[in-house]
Amino acid sequence: MKLSNVLYRQHVGFMFKKHWAVQGRRVPIDTSIEAKLKAKGIPVEDALEFVKEKPEPRERIEIIGKYEQVKPLDENHPDYKERPCLTLKNTSVLLEGISQAQVLTKSIIAEDKLPQRIEEMAELSAPKAVHEGVKKAILSANVFDCEQKKLPKIKDAERPAFNFPRILGISDRRKNEILTNKLLQLVEKSNDAEVTQNKYVVNDAECHSVFDKDGDLIKFQDVSGILVTSNKPMKHELNENDIPFIEIPDLYPVKHTVTLPPEHFYSENSKYPLRPSVSKKHPHTTWLHFNRTEVGNLYETPVTPTQILGRSLTHAFTVASAYAKQLHGEDVKDLPEPIHINCIQTDGQRFHFGVFELNTLNVDGTDGTKNVWYCKNDVKLYDSSRYLSGMPVLENYNPKVYGYINAFYNC
Amino acid sequence: MQLLRVHRTFPKLKKVITRRYSQALQLEENEYTDAPVYPPIIDTSLEARKLRIRQTLHKKIQEINTVEEKQIALNMPRFYGWQSIVLNDNKVPFNAMPLVQHYTRTHFQSIDKLPEIYAKSSPIADTIVQEIKSCIEECIATENEGVERNIVTSLDKPEKQQISDAHTKNIVKQINRIILNNLTDKVSHILSSQVDYDPRHEAFWFIGSVDLPWDVRKWRKKQKWYKGRLDQPLDRPVQYIGSPILTIRNHLPLKPIIDHSEAENPDFKVPKFSHIPESVGYFSEFRHGTNIPGFWPGDFDEFGLMSFHGRGHILDRSESFGPEDNLEALHCQAIKASFGWLLAQASYQGFTTFNDLTYPLVTQTVLTDGHLVSFYAYQLNTIVMHNDEVDSNPKHNVCFGTKPLELYETIENGKVKGLNEDVLKMLVQFYLNAPEERDHAMKPYLGKEEQIIADIEDDNRRCWLESRYKHLVANRPKHFLLPELYDWEKIYKIKFNTRFFEARRRPFEFDINPFKRRLDDHLPPYIPKVLRPYPKSRKKFETTYYPNV
Repeated sequence: MKLSNVLYRQHVGFMFKKHWAVQGRRVPIDTSIEAKLKAKGIPVEDALEFVKEKPEPRERIEIIGKYEQVKPLDENHPDYKERPCLTLKNTSVLLEGISQAQVLTKSIIAEDKLPQRIEEMAELSAPKAVHEGVKKAILSANVFDCEQKKLPKIKDAERPAFNFPRILGISDRRKNEILTNKLLQLVEKSNDAEVTQNKYVVNDAECHSVFDKDGDLIKFQDVSGILVTSNKPMKHELNENDIPFIEIPDLYPVKHTVTLPPEHFYSENSKYPLRPSVSKKHPHTTWLHFNRTEVGNLYETPVTPTQILGRSLTHAFTVASAYAKQLHGEDVKDLPEPIHINCIQTDGQRFHFGVFELNTLNVDGTDGTKNVWYCKNDVKLYDSSRYLSGMPVLENYNPKVYGYINAFYNC
Repeated sequence: MQLLRVHRTFPKLKKVITRRYSQALQLEENEYTDAPVYPPIIDTSLEARKLRIRQTLHKKIQEINTVEEKQIALNMPRFYGWQSIVLNDNKVPFNAMPLVQHYTRTHFQSIDKLPEIYAKSSPIADTIVQEIKSCIEECIATENEGVERNIVTSLDKPEKQQISDAHTKNIVKQINRIILNNLTDKVSHILSSQVDYDPRHEAFWFIGSVDLPWDVRKWRKKQKWYKGRLDQPLDRPVQYIGSPILTIRNHLPLKPIIDHSEAENPDFKVPKFSHIPESVGYFSEFRHGTNIPGFWPGDFDEFGLMSFHGRGHILDRSESFGPEDNLEALHCQAIKASFGWLLAQASYQGFTTFNDLTYPLVTQTVLTDGHLVSFYAYQLNTIVMHNDEVDSNPKHNVCFGTKPLELYETIENGKVKGLNEDVLKMLVQFYLNAPEERDHAMKPYLGKEEQIIADIEDDNRRCWLESRYKHLVANRPKHFLLPELYDWEKIYKIKFNTRFFEARRRPFEFDINPFKRRLDDHLPPYIPKVLRPYPKSRKKFETTYYPNV
């Protein structure tokens, strides 16, 4: 609120203060007495020199507060390194999307193809009660949850200056959390206790992976919405001869490190969330959330579909490589045995399934051993789920998605 | 002549002016009866008249069809929201137990083992505990030492509390996962239940027999019609706001712990606490009353089975409060959380703070920090405790609760030592407590066809009510600032009349209380002329569908 209107009505004190402020800044009038005295040879001294004593330099006091003081980000910071590290965080995307991710991770892609076993298991039909549960989960994430947070501003391209009323509703982060957790709970409930006992589920697990590529230091920082781990490493039977294109794309004129901002404050170690002492530490499936309000391009252009697909690949690579580095040490290059990991990315409606095979951590150049990324993209779980003129609606539920999730969990 | 002219300008006026005397001809034939029938003799004292007005209001709320409209109806008298006493779930002041018990009308019983209805599931629970024991041990050890987590804390709550609650959340999720996965094949209600993380729980009710706030008393002193009833108690609105770590809910309600008739047992005593809530440390806030059990009306699974809460707030309590008060604080937290959730559930069944429950509702609450666990079973028998009923209502709510029990002794070298199987068994028994179909009407005060807004057929009415309800319960700030008496006005206009020459424009200059405004006391949205229906429509404003109370 603009206070002046109210304050102007009547406030003698303000007038006084204003008066003091004006009078305080008065410039002394030059009476030319100084020049006259000097002319007569009488020394003139500045009165302020007698009044003012020079302040003693005081030492900075370290105050112990309630919270630890944040250290300034300068060269004395413990994490400061001379060499910049090009960092990709879970809130940003690569400019060239999937092809840039391919170059960075030195992977070849098997488009629209998942391991044979997963495809077979995905065909198995689930009981009706389970599908009812999935529908409940979708509705509960999109309609029935009671979160009321400010949603992003609505903009109309026709009249960009128009301000629409802000709508309150369920944020996309919460939608994704509810949906994925409920889906996983359903999968686990419909499986035998013996299967679920060998798995472990961690929410919001953070993985860091640091590696060199063509002379640049690159760091991937990623957060799995859900990380399912198991008591033994997962193995897929894969046949690389199925893949039609084994070339890694050429990004020219773009360099592969574009949109990876350099950072000087970082730690050089990779990080896998589960310690080596844990028995169920082997990564199995990682669920990646795509929260549209949080993930964005560095240059504020809207995120494109290929960029979203690129996220899946870099995410799977981050988790797999962080695990490999914990297993074989920081400097491992070609792995003695490939590491497999499943990845499911979702924005709450579309699901992107992928299986990543990590063969090497030597990502220099484009020749030699390569990693492999099998994926099946853009599977819609439903067409729309919302309040439509006051009534909760779920349109076109697709039961296939549950089959894939179940197959991913069981393989 | 003049009348004629009027008739020309307002052609409809003719229809409005009816000829009263013409009705005198229609004499009723059954005007006389054999025995004289007198109208009922009603008390015409002021208090009785006021009571009758309130009772008709309660009756009107009872007759409203849908859940959401009832909630709007509760808020109708206040445009700017009720000045409610806010009970949070993450802060308990010193010695709050009597207040919490009185405000929730709850009798608390400390127990060492679970009530009798749990005895049946004891043998199954024993076998399940043996099955899941090793998994639980492993997950506790992993969560404590095996997982690296980056806990981000905010400045609005004590850091220790936030870290403890975040840690608890992880352990509770793991334990819940293990038990659910194990039980799915053994009991049928687990597969159909839904698990929610961090749901939004809010409840709103009125409590009577609380002392007047001093400013109300001061105001009453000035009014001549309050002479002689200066200290007449007032309804105080209460709002519970909480967010459990995890809840499980089902489409069927749990079995009652004790019989409904037992609720009137005079042994269940609840201490009366009439001091103002500020004396304990609970403060008030202007907000619309909301009843939300974690989902919007229309969700199928509307009965809670159990909820888990953190107990990080205990770490932030002063040491001088002592262990006894810390224990009471836990009881308070459990009572508030259970009552709040059940009341919100009851309101989705069509009951409000003015229309009492016709059957009991039950929930189970677990307070834990991952190491200490306390169990509470709560039965909601009554939700009517406003001023007219607080002393005459014979029913009380009952809460059975244990002390905090250790789930394990220590963690050494990544292994859990001394897992307490009895505690784990109690937890499993809570999960095993199966909900059952009741043989009475669950929603007696809701309509037959219209029970929630989504059932309404009229499109305009449904959409309007839906958006109004969500806007109301969001409690978002008003578009215009709240009316305010500025300090300068108080000094220069009220205390010292220095500006007598000015025109009177402000509400206090006309003796108007701007906060005495009903929810529907506003201009509806204007319909621009181009948008009005063709050919001619004089309707300038859109229709509103506020409940008629």
